Amino acid sequence: MSYILHLLILLSIYSVLSLSLNLLVGYTGLFSFAHAAFYGIGAYITTLLMIKAGWGFFPALFIAILGAILLSLIVAIPSLRLKGDYFVLATLGFQTIIFYILYNWVGLTNGPYGIPGIPRPKFLGFGVDSTFAYSVFSILLSGICLLLLWRICESPFGRTLRAIRDDEIAASALGKNIYRFKVLAFVLSGAFASVPGALFASYMRYIDPTSFTLMETVFILSAVLIGGAGNIKGPIIGTVFVILLPEFLRFLHIPDTIAPNVRQILYGLFILILMRLRPQGLGGEYKLQ
Amino acid sequence: MVAQLFANGLATGSIYALSALGFGLIYNTTRVFHIAYGAVYTVSAYLLFALWAQYKIPLGIALIIASILTMLLGILIDIHIYQPLLRQGSSFLIVMISSLAVYIITVNIIALIFGNETKVLRSGVATTFSLGQVILSDVQILQIVALAFAFLTLVLSLKWTNFGKIIRAMRDNPDLLSLMGIDLQKVRWLIFGLGSLLAGLAAMLQALDVGIDPNIGMSAVLIAAVAVIIGGVGILEAPAFGGLLLGVLQSVVIWQASGRWQEAVTFALLILFLLFKPEGIFGQRRRLEEK
Amino acid sequence: MSILELQQVSKSFDGIKAVDGVSLSFEGGKITGLIGPNGAGKTTLFHLITGFLRPDAGAIYYKGKRIDGLPPWRIAAEGIGRLFQDVRVFRQLTVLENVLVAFRNQPDDKPWVAFLPFRRLKDIERENLEKARYWIQFVGLEGMENARAEDLSYGQQKLLAIARLLAVDAEILLLDEPTAGVNIKMIRVILDMIERLAKEERKTIIIIEHNMQVIRDIADWVYFMNEGKIISYGLPEEILENKEIRRIYIGMYDSVPVEGG
Repeated sequence: MSYILHLLILLSIYSVLSLSLNLLVGYTGLFSFAHAAFYGIGAYITTLLMIKAGWGFFPALFIAILGAILLSLIVAIPSLRLKGDYFVLATLGFQTIIFYILYNWVGLTNGPYGIPGIPRPKFLGFGVDSTFAYSVFSILLSGICLLLLWRICESPFGRTLRAIRDDEIAASALGKNIYRFKVLAFVLSGAFASVPGALFASYMRYIDPTSFTLMETVFILSAVLIGGAGNIKGPIIGTVFVILLPEFLRFLHIPDTIAPNVRQILYGLFILILMRLRPQGLGGEYKLQ
Repeated sequence: MVAQLFANGLATGSIYALSALGFGLIYNTTRVFHIAYGAVYTVSAYLLFALWAQYKIPLGIALIIASILTMLLGILIDIHIYQPLLRQGSSFLIVMISSLAVYIITVNIIALIFGNETKVLRSGVATTFSLGQVILSDVQILQIVALAFAFLTLVLSLKWTNFGKIIRAMRDNPDLLSLMGIDLQKVRWLIFGLGSLLAGLAAMLQALDVGIDPNIGMSAVLIAAVAVIIGGVGILEAPAFGGLLLGVLQSVVIWQASGRWQEAVTFALLILFLLFKPEGIFGQRRRLEEK
Repeated sequence: MSILELQQVSKSFDGIKAVDGVSLSFEGGKITGLIGPNGAGKTTLFHLITGFLRPDAGAIYYKGKRIDGLPPWRIAAEGIGRLFQDVRVFRQLTVLENVLVAFRNQPDDKPWVAFLPFRRLKDIERENLEKARYWIQFVGLEGMENARAEDLSYGQQKLLAIARLLAVDAEILLLDEPTAGVNIKMIRVILDMIERLAKEERKTIIIIEHNMQVIRDIADWVYFMNEGKIISYGLPEEILENKEIRRIYIGMYDSVPVEGG
């Protein structure tokens, strides 16, 4: 039972991560490799404020979101001046740099040794200590994020993003400031990615930089690509798929030592097949252009 | 001291330059962002490990077999992954993602077979040579020599041979080539074969020098991409300079700061170039026509 | 009074002058035709006016204000709208969404609108929804509001692009071959609409056309371009009767093209 709760928590965390990445990839048509960096910043800022400054979960989360917004601007403003492929490469560069800062600035982040002893949130003296309580907490907080993301996607803003994705030139001929829209989308995407970071940190009670690598971005990307981009249900389907697949493998008695490798092979195969046969993913709307 | 740093940087840079030349060859002619290049790289290193370190096949023969198999792998990836996608009109992004998927699959298969730990091909101390104040190991010298040889061959054949003309035509105007009756299939075999060979050479030289693990391919392809951009996209010889520059720069960073910051410096350089000099060192500033 | 003015505008590509010292002036409320053989520089001129290209020399004034050098979205927001030769609908959006995107008064640049209660957003959207349906019905695409733009035929996409342009409510409309690929009945509707836009709404319209009937029919004034220069200008009848100009065209464009819609 507690294992199912664990899965639910992971699902809630990763659905916000994939839906926020979808805002960039599926709605704006921007392929970014930097998503795990914002996930990580959310985790680290929340953690450091809670542990070193004794803050509560929500005040720390608030600052973490602000930090993610600032970081998104730093990444987006120069990168979005670059055309297509170079933009992708720039986000990859930023992801690597941010990871290296988390990994090597040992004085601040403890580097590879990680930060243990992260407290659970406390409300009015009651700690969200049990796994059950945390799963409720996580689902609620993620639910709010998902709701807001859904509203954004369905709003006129979301519609114009899709228009920009489909034809930038036609959109600018309608008077839309393309650059500004893209920066806004990027910042929103990064801000929303920081919340699961805080959830993850407080749940695991320990974080280290290896949870926020380039491969982590690729993992979130595969959820978006497999499930499908450009609508709401696609990334959710994808998240369910990538989170539950390991469980399915366990069912087949694949030994734990090789399970991660087998899992990755299966993700890779799935993506290959989908790119060939159904680039809009299992449940998505947007065929990558 | 500086001379030693420079020499070390030159040796490492030679590996980077070799793999950058291969990556650049493929990117400049076929426009594929060949992330799976990293898979070819990794496979090559492990082939050498398996053939030479495990099965004790003589080094020369092992190198040749590994090289041939590496070239084959590269060509097969093109034939079975990229070309079908291109034929159905898939975009650059879909091809790149498929390439990433191939990388993930391949690298994990290697991890399944060989395990995730670092493997060393040679135990014991390497033979070293002194040139003045500088000390280089036998492998390091081999790295520099290999680059010099490959680079010279490339430059000369690009200029003087038919092959060179075809490669340059492929970069500038592939449609014209097919109109002239040249079999684009065979040209692609050539390009992917050669590119993969360069990746293989770099990988095997690295394998002989330091240890290998299933993740060396990702670093390799990223550094190669950065070297291509720094050198200048569109210029087939330029990635060599990008690679050498990165090698020397990393050497300096190790000396000044710490080895831990190497990759960050590489990518910081990438971002600086992308922002301020996207055409690279040798490229030409393209006029921005349509936005 | 000229609402749009080009002064000595030039643009070269790789040493070839696509637009060579062109000076033009367009009167508000009038329909001006821009004709000339392919490659004469007409579309390049449109790119220059709308900001997709920067002139190498010269200046462009809109209502007395200099606009060359401004980004395309700024120029569009100032009131210059454009119909593209290659249509450019938003392929994965529905017909309705394509038109809705065009309205300038919507809060689409404010994502936090999404945090407002549902009802407020509905009110804002309702008026635009009505206007969008009106334009869709006007160009004859009613019933297709929920069809994806990429599933439409070329002619239908063209009509959609026109509906979208109407929704923008721009003051100056640059139409690049508006009747190409549209069936005869629809051409008549479009031409009537263009005339109404000029006469009743006082819009300024500049049309690039190869269909001389259209020019003869609705243009108030014509510029003839060749090899980047304005060769001749005047009333449609004068220009079209001119032997020199007919010679340059070699009678290729005397007939009305009939294409499926």
